[in-house]
Amino acid sequence: MSSDMNDDGLSRRTVLASAAAAGATGLAGCSSLTGGGTETDAGMSEIELLHAWSSGDGNAAIAALIEGFEEEHPDVEFAEEPVNGAARGNLDQVVSNRLQANDPPSTFQTWPGATLTKFGDAYADIEGEVWTDDLKENYLPGPKAQAQLDGTYVTVPLNIHRINNLFYNTAVLEEAGVDPESLSSPADVVDACAAVAENTDAVPFAQQTSGPWSTIQLWETVLLAQAGIDGYEAFIGGDGDVDQVRSALENVVELSEYYPSDASSISFTEANTMVMEGDAAFIHQGDWAAGAYSGDDEFNYGEQWGQVTYPGSEGSYLLNMDSFPYFDNNPSPEATKTFLSYCGTTDAQVRFNREKGSIPPRKDADVSELNAFQQDQYDDFTSADSQPPSIQHGLAVSPEIKTNITSAFSGFLEDYDADATAEALVGAFE
Amino acid sequence: MRNPIATLRNRWSDSDARADGGEPASTRSFFDRDSVRSAPFWLPPFLLVGLFVYGAVVWNFLLSLTDFTGIGEPDYTDLDVENYFVAFADPVDGLLSTVGLGGEVQGGSPAWSELTVEPVWNSLGNTIALMVGFAAICLALGLVLAILVDRGIRFENTFRTIYLLPMSLSFVVTAKFWLYMYNPNTGLINIALGAVGIGPVQIVQNPDLKLGAVAFALIWQFSGYAMIVYLAALRGIPSSHFEAARVDGASTIKMYWRVIIPQLRTATVSALVVITVFALKAFDFLFSMYGGYQPGPSADILATRMVREAYANQNWAYGSTIAVILFVMALFIVAPYIYSQYRRGEL
Repeated sequence: MSSDMNDDGLSRRTVLASAAAAGATGLAGCSSLTGGGTETDAGMSEIELLHAWSSGDGNAAIAALIEGFEEEHPDVEFAEEPVNGAARGNLDQVVSNRLQANDPPSTFQTWPGATLTKFGDAYADIEGEVWTDDLKENYLPGPKAQAQLDGTYVTVPLNIHRINNLFYNTAVLEEAGVDPESLSSPADVVDACAAVAENTDAVPFAQQTSGPWSTIQLWETVLLAQAGIDGYEAFIGGDGDVDQVRSALENVVELSEYYPSDASSISFTEANTMVMEGDAAFIHQGDWAAGAYSGDDEFNYGEQWGQVTYPGSEGSYLLNMDSFPYFDNNPSPEATKTFLSYCGTTDAQVRFNREKGSIPPRKDADVSELNAFQQDQYDDFTSADSQPPSIQHGLAVSPEIKTNITSAFSGFLEDYDADATAEALVGAFE
Repeated sequence: MRNPIATLRNRWSDSDARADGGEPASTRSFFDRDSVRSAPFWLPPFLLVGLFVYGAVVWNFLLSLTDFTGIGEPDYTDLDVENYFVAFADPVDGLLSTVGLGGEVQGGSPAWSELTVEPVWNSLGNTIALMVGFAAICLALGLVLAILVDRGIRFENTFRTIYLLPMSLSFVVTAKFWLYMYNPNTGLINIALGAVGIGPVQIVQNPDLKLGAVAFALIWQFSGYAMIVYLAALRGIPSSHFEAARVDGASTIKMYWRVIIPQLRTATVSALVVITVFALKAFDFLFSMYGGYQPGPSADILATRMVREAYANQNWAYGSTIAVILFVMALFIVAPYIYSQYRRGEL
């Protein structure tokens, strides 16, 4: 194109005006995205279930659950969708975007408890229709409280992973001369680690510190063990005693002396493998750690590995749960309720947890199909005096407070300053 | 095809200078106009960019003026700059703390939150430190590599490929890779340090080394890019310049310093823009290295903070505010480049 044809006098003002118009069009487009709602009147349209269990035991568990549901309700269509990336954070982002577009899924995988406040207004009451008297009678008080948002039942917990476990490699502890059953407080764990360090070549306490989550779990367990259920509940209620918080942190600092020297560069899987291979004595983890052990025929429960309730926290079953909530403005109201009711049955929970390695939240489940370790955990659960919610796993505190707590621990991992972190943790609620 | 904006500017300057008679432009049919006839070519991308880039930027800015916390409709009737006051709360302590002199930074308590909200000083300081340190070293290293490769060495192509290869990897891969490299027991970095009698050093969670370790990994990844840009520029300098400097008796160092490097200005600016924008995007790297958007206070950058506020805390308006701050920083980097291009008539 040659310049002598450029005689139409298109001014910069025109260009600006059209740019502004284009911008305005953009805005209009965006607001219509958030404005338009998708209404469906067919109550039994297909269920859209979003979850992040796209691989491993989680994937097997959700497949077993859906299979069981389809056997019982062959008329209900299912459009299950794993959100790839496998992380719960990605799933929340997807749901968050969908809610902003006023297009919620039927249900999705989420932590119950205080995490429900994140999308609080988007949930609807399912008491009566899903939360029948049968469910209310058979869920223990702890899990039942976690199914409610401000006293309203909005979600159905499906499984329970326990956080206050101490797993150990039997051979390493025998060599070190440590009897795990004799430990009765978090301080005893530190002493046991010292004995392991002295008597064996193994790492006493396997841990990863590249991300803060394992350390938060450990600290909340130690807090529960030291301060008791009252001290723990005071903390998650925003009324924590800074001395108790600091004391628990100091115990973690002492334990950190016994971590692998490359703790900051390894992942949970690598830390857990150290226990399996006899390179480490203890690991504190949720009971998904046992899922990895069950995949190894040479590493059996009660023989090569064992588990005790984290010393000092006996009588408490520190909860981590997954649940399926019910959205208001639901694309498939009847079908979703049918599905959630199914999730509340012992059949569904046994099917799911057999694959997942966790235990059913109902106290009347027939757990004979679960493995020996799960059965022991289930006995602990049904006989526990208290079922406090986990902080790290989103049950105990709202997402915003949890972000503050995680920030405090990301600083703790840099300098292990118990005083400053204790102040930050108590201040996380302000 | 020529740059449409340049074409428009030529039209603007030409329209007054027309003295050759002929038919006045205004009487010609609207549809005969060059701009209208070429509309099928420029209008669709123009509208798409307007909608998806500038529309989104403007929308994000509007969002940062609201109190939106994720659910329902943002309230656009009540706009204020409160979020910016929260982001830059306590400026004296905040600025001092970014250079390591300040004490406690006081957070703000905006209307949309029941909790105290931290200002952005810490992550802002880290972002700038990362950007400046990474960009400066990356350019310097790229220049040295380019000069070395340009000296007619053997296996030139092989070296060029080796240096450029890391750039083709994704941040996720390089982050996991450097997590291994920094391992105190088995990582290559500590083995190298051990060979000279240092270490083993904790790097990944060490508050003094964290940000430096991230910058180092990014330099490893992107200095090859700087090298390629410089190499192209060096190849564009006529060999007569090298020869003239030689004839005048300049040493090799003097020749590069006085004659060659001053001619690399355009290359420096364009490489700088790309590299600093990579530093702003270091989010992926930190996310993969620290398993989430909580890399710890010593390595927290604006991008991780932004995602944390928006997606973890549902503080969408505040997240948008941080996005605007990042956008303005990016503008500050790109604007001088665009302006210099404009001055030279290349735009």
